[in-house]
Amino acid sequence: MAYLLLLPGGVWLLLFYVIPTISMLSVSLQEGSLEQGYRLTWNVGVYGEVLLRNDTQIIRSVLYGFVTTVVTLLIAYPLAYTIAFHGGRFKNALLFLVILPFFVSFIIRTIQWKFVLADQGVILGTLKDLGILGQGFHVLGENVAVLGGLIYNFLPFMALPLYVALEKMDKSLLDAADDLYSNRAVAFLRVTFPLSLPGVFAGSLLTFIPSVGDFINSEYLGSPSTTMIGNVIQQEFLQNNDYPEAAALSFLLMAAILIGVALYARVLGTEELTG
Amino acid sequence: MSEIDRLFDGLDRPVSRRELLRRAGRGSMFLGAMALLAACGVEAQRRQEGDRLEPLPAEPAGELIMANWPLYIDKGPTGSPTVKGFESEFGIDMKHDEVINDNEEFFGTIREPLSQGQPTGWDIVVLTDWMIAKMNRLGYLERLHHEELPSFEANVADKFRDPWFDPGNEHSIPWAAGITGIGYDVEAVGRDIVRFEDLFDDDLAGRVGLFAEMRDTFGLALASMGIQSPDATVDDVEAAQQMLISNRDKVRGFYGNDYTDGMARGDLVASMAWSGDIFALSLDNPNLRFVIPEAGGMRWSDNMAIPVGAEHPLDAHLFMNHVYDPRIATNITEWVWYESPVAAVQEMIRADAAGPDADDLSCSPFCAELAEDRFVFPTEETNVQTIPYKQLDEEEEQVWNDLFQTVVQG
Amino acid sequence: MKRRGWVLPLYTGVALLYLFLPIAIMMLFGFNDIRGRFNFTWQGFTLRHWQGIFDTPELTLALKNSLLVAAVSTVVATALGTMIALALTRHRFRGRGSTNLFIFLPLATPEIVLGASLLSLFVTANVTRGILTILIAHIMFNISYVVVTVKARTQGFNREWEEAAKDLGATPWTAFRTVTLPLIFPGILAASVLAFALSVDDYVITLFNAGATSTFPLWVAGASRFGVPPAVNVMGTLIFVVGAVLALTSVALQRRSYRGARPEELMPRPSPVSAA
Repeated sequence: MAYLLLLPGGVWLLLFYVIPTISMLSVSLQEGSLEQGYRLTWNVGVYGEVLLRNDTQIIRSVLYGFVTTVVTLLIAYPLAYTIAFHGGRFKNALLFLVILPFFVSFIIRTIQWKFVLADQGVILGTLKDLGILGQGFHVLGENVAVLGGLIYNFLPFMALPLYVALEKMDKSLLDAADDLYSNRAVAFLRVTFPLSLPGVFAGSLLTFIPSVGDFINSEYLGSPSTTMIGNVIQQEFLQNNDYPEAAALSFLLMAAILIGVALYARVLGTEELTG
Repeated sequence: MSEIDRLFDGLDRPVSRRELLRRAGRGSMFLGAMALLAACGVEAQRRQEGDRLEPLPAEPAGELIMANWPLYIDKGPTGSPTVKGFESEFGIDMKHDEVINDNEEFFGTIREPLSQGQPTGWDIVVLTDWMIAKMNRLGYLERLHHEELPSFEANVADKFRDPWFDPGNEHSIPWAAGITGIGYDVEAVGRDIVRFEDLFDDDLAGRVGLFAEMRDTFGLALASMGIQSPDATVDDVEAAQQMLISNRDKVRGFYGNDYTDGMARGDLVASMAWSGDIFALSLDNPNLRFVIPEAGGMRWSDNMAIPVGAEHPLDAHLFMNHVYDPRIATNITEWVWYESPVAAVQEMIRADAAGPDADDLSCSPFCAELAEDRFVFPTEETNVQTIPYKQLDEEEEQVWNDLFQTVVQG
Repeated sequence: MKRRGWVLPLYTGVALLYLFLPIAIMMLFGFNDIRGRFNFTWQGFTLRHWQGIFDTPELTLALKNSLLVAAVSTVVATALGTMIALALTRHRFRGRGSTNLFIFLPLATPEIVLGASLLSLFVTANVTRGILTILIAHIMFNISYVVVTVKARTQGFNREWEEAAKDLGATPWTAFRTVTLPLIFPGILAASVLAFALSVDDYVITLFNAGATSTFPLWVAGASRFGVPPAVNVMGTLIFVVGAVLALTSVALQRRSYRGARPEELMPRPSPVSAA
């Protein structure tokens, strides 16, 4: 029965993901150029090369992903909690409103953020006029701007799975916990939070994984000092036409992410992941 | 037991022999897939079709699909008057898509079909001269039938004939041209910017921009060191690379089209810029100036070409010829504000500006200034200050790109 | 949940304002009375951009394409993804561990390589690039997102309830339809909303696989060379307002149809501490 359920989606992914990915793997091991053509030479050395050359960007990307995930979790959790438990009949509407900004293209969102964060813009300009900030202060081009963009863009990815896990919890359990523990904070930590862990896990994955490979936020809101591995892959692919290196970097990125995910699952899995 | 524990159960279990065999089986299937891919082989990617002159159909197909840069053709309330005029005059259904934002990005999307000899979906593409040179090297562009392009032959300005990147205009004809120089806000900077190195003055630190376009940035840097791009050796480029890296902290970023955003908002007070953009920006902010660096700026042209395998080549030729009519070319230039390859345009704009319908023109009320702008219509003096890109072969391009990558990435 | 403090609702309000901030700016700049080409700085208020918004055929076509692809890909991806999620959480089977791990791979693959390698596949198979290929690509990357989101709901699913229904004489399908489906529905709904947003917003993968077809993000990217044109801001505002109105209408409709208890309230919840 399980295999039957897996079949349609599995076939789709096999055809349109697995096969292209295997061909990508093959490309990473090839050598050559556009004019001379590429040949499969099993050039495993390329992985070492790109790893050494781009270690800064890889580490930076993982760090950005990590910070993004933690901060979005902190921001999204109370939001999802409120919608799930205090939303009442507005639940679905509120949830939809959370994701609605993402129906207008990311380009629009990012350009408007550039407007908000402009050196002499509404926020910074006013603060500078009031003398709170020095004239040389700027946000765009710094880590903060890129992280801000990442956090903003991945907030719904964290909020939705959190909501899904929270909403299904049996409220009588929570009432019981409230009665048992004198402190609401303790009740939360002992009962609510552990029960919501599947949502935390899912949300973290949906946030961490894509954000590590992101390039848009760094490109629009960042500077050379915020280059992420996604930007490097973009450049290798489009400008250098170095498809083997771009492919190798992609696999390194995927491997790094998988290892991170496996570790994360292990850490969470040692607790009683009920639900 | 929890979901996650089960996941790790699978990884922890000691492996039985049956399990081992099964896994070995799966592993060898995987290797088999790989071997299959290897056997498929990858042929050389250079196409031969670009060298032959493919015969044109006798009749136009009635359809035309063109890819262009944004804001590069005249615009009316419901679309482009030029496109609409072409459609009604020739009875051809034309789709003008502004999908090209970056030469390499666009090339990345058509490379695959081209290398396998398949149609890209586009009949005309407009790409910058060095990309035309690259695609020519790869044989990806159809040879043009100049007998279908009488307007081009009659009206093109001499400086655009037989260019370095496409001898004899065999595969492309120009659409528009421009200059890469420096744009700056004279009030915010407090003085005139004259040389490329002026961008690195300490008082401007953190508020200047360079281009992410390798040929432009290296071009200006090399020029400032006294080297013209076409003569540059790898050693020269390495020196330029070092110079840029040592000044990188002062630069706010390496921009593409979005430098105009920074300049309009005041985040950037000086930046590498394109001639037509600054003309447009200066209409909103008269403090903005464009200057060609003392040591030289880069001149470039964007050109129409037909990718190999295009499905409506005759219709493509008809349109390419159509826009070389001086009246049509003038209409386009009055909107686009970049140099037209048609010689008569400058005079026609002057005439339009002085004429009775001057207020209805798309460049109104700046038409007179437009006609006299020496960057939109470079004079002999201006031309001498500009340098073309270097014709790079594949290996050189790789080296230059690698060097530039270290500049742009941190 | 008797204690209704003001902290959380206030926080929610602030969070929603944060989410809407760029949207508000977008709406504002749809009214910008620009003199030249650039829509970077505020130059005055006008309504002229709202006239004839559907007159630009390319923009309307791009929008239609985006909505069509998003709708179809959402339905298909949600169906396929939900089935996978159910298989992973309701059943034990060989290879479940690895499937669990590998379902994350599409999320981890950089879009540009995903897009380019898929294009490679289409070219080799001589498939013309257009709406169909965009659709295929969107369904492909949406499946993983759906699986992860639905799993958050179906985790530790208790089959006893379905078994009980079957014992009472229901067919497996009826048991599924009346017991399981309503319980996991919020997860499916959330997953489909996410998938729709992802599809409408996709740029890189679509860029590579669209051929000469235009979608809204592709069109916007091209048009935004000098800042987002007022026309695009206006279109974005429309999308947003329509969406918000839909959300509010659904609230009003809900009130009317569920006079009594909601389905979840009729069905006792599976105990979260079940031995699964």
